[in-house]
Parts: sequence; structure tokens; C-alpha cells
Amino acid sequence: MMTFEGVRFRDLSVPSLALPPGITTLIGPNGAGKSTFLKLCAGIKEPEEGLVSIDGSSPRQTEVGYVNEFPDRNLLFSTVKDELASPLRFRHASCAETEREVRACAEWWGMGGLLDRDARDLSGGEKCLVALATAGITRPRVLVLDEYDSHLDAGRCAVAECILRSSGAPYIIRCTQQMEAAAESDRLLFLEKGRIVHAGEPAAVFAELAGTPFYPLSWRCRR
Amino acid sequence: MRLVLDSIALARPHWSLAAGGTFEPGIHLVSGDVGSGKSTLALIMAGLAAPDRGAVSRDGIGQVMLSFQFPEFHITGFSVADECRSWNLEPEAVLASAGIVVSPERSALSLSRGELKRLHLTCLLSREYDLLLLDEPFSSLDCPGKEWAAGEISRRRRGITVVFTHEQSIFPHTDHIWEIREGILTDCGAMPGALRAWEHAPAIIQRLVAEGCIPDDLTKESVVEAACRMQE
Repeated sequence: MMTFEGVRFRDLSVPSLALPPGITTLIGPNGAGKSTFLKLCAGIKEPEEGLVSIDGSSPRQTEVGYVNEFPDRNLLFSTVKDELASPLRFRHASCAETEREVRACAEWWGMGGLLDRDARDLSGGEKCLVALATAGITRPRVLVLDEYDSHLDAGRCAVAECILRSSGAPYIIRCTQQMEAAAESDRLLFLEKGRIVHAGEPAAVFAELAGTPFYPLSWRCRR
Repeated sequence: MRLVLDSIALARPHWSLAAGGTFEPGIHLVSGDVGSGKSTLALIMAGLAAPDRGAVSRDGIGQVMLSFQFPEFHITGFSVADECRSWNLEPEAVLASAGIVVSPERSALSLSRGELKRLHLTCLLSREYDLLLLDEPFSSLDCPGKEWAAGEISRRRRGITVVFTHEQSIFPHTDHIWEIREGILTDCGAMPGALRAWEHAPAIIQRLVAEGCIPDDLTKESVVEAACRMQE
């Protein structure tokens, strides 16, 4: 269980929250605190008050893969191959294992042709794909994905959804502004002004959001 | 006023792009897969990149503006106030219009990406252009922000507006649809007939077309109206 107890960080306040394994998606207005919440989940920020815990450990003691909402802030290395290899190299994986995992990962994500490309020359969507693949290449227990889909086409979003679901990561915490994607999650958190206003399964949360721009368009059209 | 792509072509080691066609005044939508060359096409249309072959002519077009897909690329001022003033706009008015509740003295690059996009679009859309190229204007915006941006773009009935987007739910009023297929810019035609030829159409649009309930436009109101017809 991922838990928040008495957590405060700047304008974000989460008095008590327990997230079981699965895909949890944050939705809400710009500036609501979604990225801050995700940084606390990833251990990039630590709460000013309170405690974030993942199965009894702090996020910084947990294997976490993280994707920043700014695609360029994810890329550390020149080539796509080096970027994908970086989490493996940081944990001193052998060259043979690194090569094997990078090739396999590129195949899963359908970007074998990008491996030798300069990461700075990629399109926005390609940068997002590289960031996603890099975050998951060591199969971390937690994937924290901030607006990972903002530059992806519908087909790549579907591929990403499929790969994420089969990643084996017990916890996937993400935020998106694509409500159709959010509707596929195990649970939703709707944040507004630094507070979790609605939490629960998509049907329950979207029922609270009926009539707002956050209600999925396709749900309006359901027979 | 018109923008003509005269058999332009661009080849790179890993991809290529070919495009021909005329963009008349109105709102054009261009879709295509990740890495298909939409942003490069936008640069070429803006005159910021040159094709390997062919020519771009901008007949009667004076003012050109390109909005990059990454709003952070546009920031020239250190603070939010500096950024607004660089557009000759009053910071308080911009923040109110953008719906952002932050101090004008805050560092622009400390805003959330969605807030940054709102700030950038509010500044950019405050002016008139003969040719306005918007690369992924909806990315990072929240749902109310997307509806606001779609409304602002829809009001631009003067000049040529080209929207390059992956957006699947919220669109502005659209006159014409194009898409990049296998490296070639393809003219799907004028609305609403273009919807029948649009291979990258969002799932909801594909379903409406399959059911014969073709919306007149891509605005949310038109799509919901067509969906209601389908439900009858």
C-alpha cells in the first residue's frame, strides 16, 4: 500500500490517503498540485510535514521510475541508446545485459529505429517515448509518470497503456489531461487547489464531475 | 491571402516528408503520428526551416507566428511579469485572462507546464496574424484550458490558422483537415466531408462516421449533437 499521512508540501495537503497497487491517475486543473504530488511519490521531493510510504519504505528507499512533464528535462545523454542504458549502467549491470535489455526495450516500444538518434533531434512525442521506456527499463516497483502522454498520438498512447499494464510494476501513479485514458485507470484522484477533492473508481469520480470539462466526451456519447 | 506548398520534400536518414497543397484563410487541422514531421512542417511553413526541394509561397501574408509545442522554448523573461511585458501586455491582465493564480514576480519557468502553456497562449493569442501556426496547442492544458484555447482559436476567422495536434477530444472550429500518412501530407478535404477521409480521427469521430452521424464541425457542441442523433 502507498500511504500519505499528514502530508504537507507548499500548497499541497494530503491528510490521509491509502493507494492499493494498480494504476492510479491524477486529474485536475493546471496548478492543482498534481506534479508536486507525483514528486512526493517518486521521492524527488520530501514532505515538509508528514510521511509518504510505499509498502513500509520511503520512496527514496524504493525503486522508482519517473517521467517529468517537461520532455527535455528527462534526457541526460546524447543518444537514445545511452539514455535507455543509463538506469542499467547506474546500477552496474554488465555490458552484455545492458545491450540485451536496451534492444528488448526498444523493440517493445517500437523504437528500434531511434536507438542511434541524437535525443535532442527527436520529436516531442519521441522524447516522451524514450523517457517512458527509460523509466521502466529496470522494472521498478513504482512508475511515476507526469503527463507522459501530452505529446503522444492515439496509437502510441494505446501502446503505452498496454506496456504499462504488462510492466509488472505494482504501483503506477500518473497524471494526464486525456480523460479517456484516465477512465481506463483502476482509480482516480481529482486534485484542486492542493487538495484531493474526489477519489475512487473512475465511474464514481466522473459521476462527481458530470457537466464539467473533465467528464470524458465519449461517456456523453454512450448508448 | 494563401500559403502554397509547391511539391516540397525533405529527407533525413530516418524519415522523410513530402507535401503539396494550398492553405486558404480559415482554420486547418494537421494530424499525424509521433515523429511523422508535423513540427518540421510547421517550421517550413513559418519559413524557419527550408525544404530540400520545392518551394513555399506566402501570398499576401505579412505577419507570421509559430507557437512551438514546448511552451518553455518561448520564455524570454525571467519572471511571469517580464514575460508578459515582453509581449507588451500588463501582467495582471494576462494572469486574469489565463486563469493563473500566481505572483507576477514568480519565475516563469517555475510554473507548472500547463500554467506555462496558458501563459504563453494568452500572450500569443492576444495579437492578430496573417498566418498562425500552432504546434500542439492543447498539450499540457487541463480540460477547461483546452476548451478555452479551442474557443480562442475558433474566434480567429481572419487569416490562416494551422493547428498541428494529437488531441483526441477537444478541437476548435475547423474548416479543413490534413494528415501526414507515410511521410506524405494528405489533404482530407473541407469539413464535414473531410471526416470520412481522416485516418487519424479520434475514436469518437470514427464511431460517429461509421454510424452515419457526421458532425458539422469538430467543436464539442457539434460532436455532442451528432452523438445525440446517434442515440435517437
